[in-house]
Amino acid sequence: MTWHRAQPWVSLACRLGLAGIFIVAGALKVTDLASSGRAVNAYQIMPYDLAMVVGAAQPFVEIVVGLLLLFGLATRLAAWASAVMMVAFIAGIASAWSRGLNIDCGCFSKGGPLPPGVTPNYLPDIIRDVAFLAMAIFLIIYPVSRFSLDARLDRPSPALEDDVLEEENSDEPSEQAVRRRERL
Amino acid sequence: MSSRKDQNAAARMVREQIAKEQRRKRTMWISIAAVSALVIAGLIGWAIYAGGKTTEYTAPKGANSAGNGIVSGSGPVVVDEYVDYLCPHCKTFHDEAAASLQQLVNDGKITLVTHPVAYLDGASTNRYSTRASAAAGCAAEFGKFTEFSNVLFENQPAEGGAGPSDEDLIVFGRQAGLGEDFAQCVQDKRFINWTNHVSEEAGRAGVSGTPTVLVNGKATQASSTAIATAVAAAAGAAPSASTS
Repeated sequence: MTWHRAQPWVSLACRLGLAGIFIVAGALKVTDLASSGRAVNAYQIMPYDLAMVVGAAQPFVEIVVGLLLLFGLATRLAAWASAVMMVAFIAGIASAWSRGLNIDCGCFSKGGPLPPGVTPNYLPDIIRDVAFLAMAIFLIIYPVSRFSLDARLDRPSPALEDDVLEEENSDEPSEQAVRRRERL
Repeated sequence: MSSRKDQNAAARMVREQIAKEQRRKRTMWISIAAVSALVIAGLIGWAIYAGGKTTEYTAPKGANSAGNGIVSGSGPVVVDEYVDYLCPHCKTFHDEAAASLQQLVNDGKITLVTHPVAYLDGASTNRYSTRASAAAGCAAEFGKFTEFSNVLFENQPAEGGAGPSDEDLIVFGRQAGLGEDFAQCVQDKRFINWTNHVSEEAGRAGVSGTPTVLVNGKATQASSTAIATAVAAAAGAAPSASTS
């Protein structure tokens, strides 16, 4: 199988993989927005009120990005959004790590500080997010994938385009137009 | 003949250009729609969060002046404990340290401020954290906060399922020596807004998980020995600490 034929399938895998991640992560947090806000606040990066708003908005944005990727609509844009979020998550976790905070990353859970005696898993969290980032970057470079709405919408409908052309060239001799249509 | 070929080629070019232009426009509109969907999604989250915030509340009797915790004792060192009645580590902490904290209160060494936050509403199917905390507010109103808290921790449900119902909470209240006025208070959900206020204030104070213990405002490990050490240190340094 050549790269040319394999690439849309690889893109599909990245698309569905990221879609699943975002939908699950969003759905886990969407039922308790205040606790999602506290998880953001636990990073001690933003002031409390901003962290609460970011925490409340984030699950909804994650779900919409997930749905866009699931249906393959605006794939490249959704991939950009995924990449930006992953970079933000990686930066946040790295920052928490460097400041010696003892928190759960809140990636797929409620977050917050860890109970005493539990060491944070910052490195696996970061490695995982880097893998997700790589999937997003692949999609940015190769947004064309199998079973996507983008591809479906992009498939030119010949009849329509011909009509448009007819209108544009209304001054064209009709005989030639007929011939051309026959040729097509 | 060649002119017809040229015309055909020209027509094809025009056609391709129009198709390209159409694709460009479609991509632009889809992108605009997608960005709008993302922005709207974020705003919905913000609106739901902002709409759920409460501004008006009535603190129960026995609450501190900030209205965000229940006070016990009047010693010079202030110990704040932030607990969620559903949090397993809070039960462990309570079982281990409650007696020694009570001793410090009785000895007049500390003022114990208990903040019954509702952080774990996502971990029960019936918002047990909020209802338990509000019921604890009712217990404080009728003077049995500590007793009721003990019963709640004795009967702590597992995370993930349905916690005790309001009727169950009323039964717990009877075990703690509370009566009909308490039952009415629980049924009226009188202190739900207060619970929201307690959680909100705790979050603002930087408490992102439970249990959290502060001794004179300084985070301390949630264990009786760590608290005793911190209290002794704070009491020794009291004159200078009070000015800072």
